[in-house]
Amino acid sequence: MANANHPTSASGRAPSERGVIARFAAAYGQEIVIFFAMIALFVIVTAINPRFISPENLNTIFSGNAYIAVAAIGMAMIIITGHIDVSVGALIGVLATISGTLAVSGYPVWVALIVPVFVGMAVNAVIGVMVAYARIPSIVVTLGMLSILRGGLITVTGGAWISGLPPEFLIAQAKPLGVPAPIYFMVALTLLAAFWMRYSEFGRSLYAIGGNPEAARASGIPIERRTVMVFVIHGAFAGLATMLFATQLQVIQSTVPPNLELTVITAAVIGGVSILGGTGTVIGSTLAAILFAAIGSALIFTNVSAYWLRAVIGVLILVTVMADMIRRNRQGRA
Amino acid sequence: MIKRILRHETILALLTVIVLAILAYQSDKFFTVDNLLNQGRLMTEVGLVAVIMTFVIVTGGIDLSVGSIVGLTAILTGVFWKSLGLPLPLAAFAAIACGTFGGFMNGVIITRFKVPPLIATLATLALYRGLAEGISQARSVRGYPESFYVLGQGNMLGVPTQLWLLIITAIVAGVVLGYTRWGRTVYAIGSNEVAARFSGLPVDRAKLAVYTASGFAAAVAGVILVSRVSTTRSDMGTGLELDAITAVVLGGTSIFGGRGTVIGTLLGLILIQALKNGLSLAGIKGDGTIVLIGVVLILTILISNIVHRDGNR
Amino acid sequence: MPETVQPFVSLTGATKTFGGITVLKAVDFDVRPGEVHALLGENGAGKSTLIKIISGLYVPDGGTIRIGGETVTLSSTRDASRRGIATVYQELLLFPEMTIAENIFLGNYPKTAWGGIDWPEARRRARALLDSLDSPELDIDRKVASLSVAQRQRVEIAKALSRDARVLIMDEPTASLAEADVQRLMEVVRALRQRGVGIIYVSHRMPEIFALADRVTVLRDGELIGTRDIGEVTEATLVAMMVGRSIDQLFPKPEPIIGETLLEVENLVSGKLVKGLSFSVRKGEILGIAGLVGSGRTETALTLFGITPAESGRIRIAGKEVTIRSPREARDLGIAYVPEDRGLQGLVKSMTIRQNVSMASIDRLSRGIFIRFAEEAARAVNAVKRFGIRARAGIEQPVGQLSGGNQQKVVIAKWLETAPRILILDEPTRGVDVGAKSEIHAIMGELARTGVAIIMISSELPEVLGMSDRVLVMNNGHLVSIIDRADANAESVGAAMTVAKKSKDAA
Repeated sequence: MANANHPTSASGRAPSERGVIARFAAAYGQEIVIFFAMIALFVIVTAINPRFISPENLNTIFSGNAYIAVAAIGMAMIIITGHIDVSVGALIGVLATISGTLAVSGYPVWVALIVPVFVGMAVNAVIGVMVAYARIPSIVVTLGMLSILRGGLITVTGGAWISGLPPEFLIAQAKPLGVPAPIYFMVALTLLAAFWMRYSEFGRSLYAIGGNPEAARASGIPIERRTVMVFVIHGAFAGLATMLFATQLQVIQSTVPPNLELTVITAAVIGGVSILGGTGTVIGSTLAAILFAAIGSALIFTNVSAYWLRAVIGVLILVTVMADMIRRNRQGRA
Repeated sequence: MIKRILRHETILALLTVIVLAILAYQSDKFFTVDNLLNQGRLMTEVGLVAVIMTFVIVTGGIDLSVGSIVGLTAILTGVFWKSLGLPLPLAAFAAIACGTFGGFMNGVIITRFKVPPLIATLATLALYRGLAEGISQARSVRGYPESFYVLGQGNMLGVPTQLWLLIITAIVAGVVLGYTRWGRTVYAIGSNEVAARFSGLPVDRAKLAVYTASGFAAAVAGVILVSRVSTTRSDMGTGLELDAITAVVLGGTSIFGGRGTVIGTLLGLILIQALKNGLSLAGIKGDGTIVLIGVVLILTILISNIVHRDGNR
Repeated sequence: MPETVQPFVSLTGATKTFGGITVLKAVDFDVRPGEVHALLGENGAGKSTLIKIISGLYVPDGGTIRIGGETVTLSSTRDASRRGIATVYQELLLFPEMTIAENIFLGNYPKTAWGGIDWPEARRRARALLDSLDSPELDIDRKVASLSVAQRQRVEIAKALSRDARVLIMDEPTASLAEADVQRLMEVVRALRQRGVGIIYVSHRMPEIFALADRVTVLRDGELIGTRDIGEVTEATLVAMMVGRSIDQLFPKPEPIIGETLLEVENLVSGKLVKGLSFSVRKGEILGIAGLVGSGRTETALTLFGITPAESGRIRIAGKEVTIRSPREARDLGIAYVPEDRGLQGLVKSMTIRQNVSMASIDRLSRGIFIRFAEEAARAVNAVKRFGIRARAGIEQPVGQLSGGNQQKVVIAKWLETAPRILILDEPTRGVDVGAKSEIHAIMGELARTGVAIIMISSELPEVLGMSDRVLVMNNGHLVSIIDRADANAESVGAAMTVAKKSKDAA
């Protein structure tokens, strides 16, 4: 029998191995695409209007959406696990108000900053329990939570703005070494999360649960506990995002930032997190959040009305997702 | 299965009656004809969308783009009329045609490219809203002729005009879903799409029709909204998708598909509107009632899940 | 195998019931280190339940499990895996979007000093494991989604070995392998035995069992029929133990009334597994299609049924050339298809018998768009009576609550509602109990006598031989031969099935 793979004939061949670069390319395909899209955008827009790459504008681009990038890290984990959270925007609105209220009430700044993180974790623990143990689909639970948080916020605050924030509270305005603080935040959290998703057993199990829940259970992964945990972590990232969101201006509008949850989900998805669960990285979601800010800025610098931003992003998601589906369908047939 | 549906709807109907009774007891302004009709007027836009959303969710899909289609249709009505100088009825029809096409595109993306509905309509949510913003440049259009307000502010036989539209739509939708082969196809797709396809049912055509209808309903709701509030702005209909989905899910439609009725959705709508209205009459501030809706949504599904713990997901 | 070797795993009196039906009745079973213990039985005999108990997926309702002499309860697969029991699942529980290396170590990663996953070590060990399975060609950084079934199987085995499995359960490991891959797998199994691993080997294929097994256990209807050393048994005695009677009694086939040619297929091509097929079926004839899983049998049916339309070739029905682009077009041409995967493709389990029976003919049952409910119910009642579908709640019972055999009858009833001229049955009796099986065979015989042309795809050789007027044998997308009933026997069909054209696994 002429079997090329037969053990006896195989011993002479060198095992097929990929180089580090090839492995990197395979693992971060989507991220590389976004990265080069961003480079292309920068080159083109700069050719039209060189002020686009002025240090001030770069600072604006990279720091402006930092809070979205941070929230998208948690969202990416949620979607990788096969769930969704449409309440994160409302949660950030609530947490920002809590944070601001504490700050103007004379609590130390660190208390005002850290309390939202724990509140976010607590709220999402409730969501996680509902999803994991009561088996209510995450879209339903978070839809309900969205109403509760949004309504609760308006009821309590009446939509009033919080002003008179102590200057030391406004950490998002700080510029250590001339670089806006949110950028440090975003980069550090992204790298930390990426490292953790790659090198911790917990992180890998999220991919397993999202990719093939049945197989994950058979592999002995405690799906319910992990689901609750990933929601809690996501809540913590919402709290961290709040640190940047609440401290960027002199006032906090104590309303829910409109459509924030959708922007966050979009960043995660464009960053290569498959909505079907099981794949994607947090680096991609951060790159996507920066890309949004860059596109928004590019529209301004090329004299296109910024009101087209969302349409551009809409097209961007469609193209990304359709490409992903075409690739998957082809792979499925092969 | 019929028994199960009835049980959820019975729970919901009881809950609705209790809420209505409490509200009537709390405020003598609640159970007046004027108030009730006015509430009907207010819930029409979400109602139209929710009734068709029932079909979408029964197929196992979702349509997040309806709020944006409302906004886009509203903007286009204004633009066609004011900027292009079309007669207003024609402008409205053209805008509705565009909104319907938006729904059709959703269907194409979902059936042709096999993009999951959640993400496909999330993308078009951004796209259609972005088009509305881009086209309008955030400028509002006002000054519609008096005759146009008949739709949103007028009455027919003593009942708000648009409420008739909702009633007729609900009846037709209820009959189609419950008594026709189209409805049966929708249920079959939501329960097991592969088996439906293997049974020779027109799966893709049905899904395309359902998303197109959803776009149409949202577009009509958009024109009604313009007529009711006398102005067009690009942010109109923001968040409407969540209200509609809440009503549908509250009405007992399984978010996984295969289960749900139009009557349930109507009950869900009425319950939500009654809560909003009743609580505001009772002096609780307007938006605070949303909290209660969220709680009711989660609790209803929770109870329903516990009652129907049959292992079938 | 000397008697003195202590079994590593042993079950005594294992019993399991589901919803009042006992699927495993007081079964004793054991595995010794370094032996291949074959587990045999027809579909529904209780093999998979037994396996699932040993692998910790099911907790038995009665009986004890001993591992290494110690009585244990296995409450999860994690428990079982910790105690050295690993399973290579039939449905292959891998993660398609992850790399080979990651699949092997998922849940059991090598760790660095600070507790993170040691990827270089994981990759090194994955490489070593695959090399030890004579698979140096598998790139450990490849995603599992792109692997062939045989390759995935080796990944599963590597995964089991990475956890120091003492007992390896292999559930129909060769069901979807080409012959060359089967040989290779058998090498691997022998090597594992050499290392002292105990292997529970589930298979239908007699040659493999006689080539590999040290002992064999036969189950029937959930009961233990017996455990024998391989030297004590012959193929005939094993078959007798499995079915409890001989083949002739099982397939009472009426004399066929064969009419003119109804379906002609010429050079049919579709996808990778239908490569230029030509055959014909006549009225009243039952054409059996035999071949290994992956030989293109089901793909041929799907092409005729319009799920994966033909890319080229001609299809003629009653002499008229037709194109079939969708199941609906197929149905309108009088083609019906009872699919292979009943739960996924055949039934809407949450819907009632009434709704399922009418599903393929709902447009014909409607006045305009309105369903005629009385007519629909009457037809369902009729079908229940005609096919003897046993349902406690009558036609309003959700089909998910029916037994396998009754579910299959619902699928058949659904398609007979469309009054087909050509009926394609794909594994018509898989997962069906013995009683319902012969009822389904009787229905087939009866239909053929009314002039329906039947194409039957089956992996059970006795069924193919017992029911078919002619047997079409496929291999790797090609037609190997068409054998008349008189010449069809286990040897002739079996030989044609396993003709090794070339290895599919040349990756």
